[in-house]
Amino acid sequence: MDANPIVLDDAAEDVVVVVVEGEHDIYTAPTLRERLDEALARGGGVVIDLSTATFVDSSVLGALLDARRRALEAEQGFVVCIGESVEPGVQRILDVTGLVPVLPVVNGRDAAIDAVRATGNGAGE
Amino acid sequence: MSAAPDVRLSLPARAEGVAVVRQALAGLADALDFDPAVLADMKMAVSEACTNVVVHAYGEREGNLDVEMLVDEPGLTIVVRDQGSGIDRDAPRSDDVPALGLGLPLIAALSDAFELRGERGQGTEVRMTFRYSRDGDPAQERPVQGGVGKDGRWDPEAARGTTTP
Repeated sequence: MDANPIVLDDAAEDVVVVVVEGEHDIYTAPTLRERLDEALARGGGVVIDLSTATFVDSSVLGALLDARRRALEAEQGFVVCIGESVEPGVQRILDVTGLVPVLPVVNGRDAAIDAVRATGNGAGE
Repeated sequence: MSAAPDVRLSLPARAEGVAVVRQALAGLADALDFDPAVLADMKMAVSEACTNVVVHAYGEREGNLDVEMLVDEPGLTIVVRDQGSGIDRDAPRSDDVPALGLGLPLIAALSDAFELRGERGQGTEVRMTFRYSRDGDPAQERPVQGGVGKDGRWDPEAARGTTTP
């Protein structure tokens, strides 16, 4: 069993959620890139849910920024979300890099899905 | 201060080793009763230093990632060292490297003191110190410079935030 899973949740149908759980760094970044590729390939909006992540480093930010660039090029919505209680190992790197408004990062998965839909770039748009 | 032992680790410079170093650091910091916010900064900075070794130090060769954690009066000093290709300040930025170029700026921003040693062909040593108590936030004193460039990668010259593609 993977202690740090990255899974796709397509319960929202028009927006696929990439759920990132546990600690992630240079070792798991290739898996994250694969999951992001899968999510983008579905053609709709993409949410990255970091609410159960406990640590992410710059390797993860690199994967997120690459996916964000491709999403923008393909006119697919792309939003990162965190939970109400954010681990310092996630919040700190977002804060010190100034990436909260860039990625962008919002609070809560539902708000993130709404934000992606509000861009008009969910699947079927 | 606590009688927590100094720690020395030497392991193959592979991606899976970075989490091992973080776990060892977390155990030591717990024994030293560090504030969770400082521990988060330590784990981040050490991960970035170890990642630099894994990604940059040895190319296709095998090599070691050496880490020392030294307990001292003002705080915990962590040294991350390799015997790799060293710092090539003239090296062009490669698109093949799966890194963002944020490692050293993050280490500088998150540590209370930071020193980088090494030249081309002589390996590299990153030495960072984290104090038991902080007067302020080092990331405020030495903020990470740069932002996301038009190519979607980290650009030290870009304004904080991003340029809109």
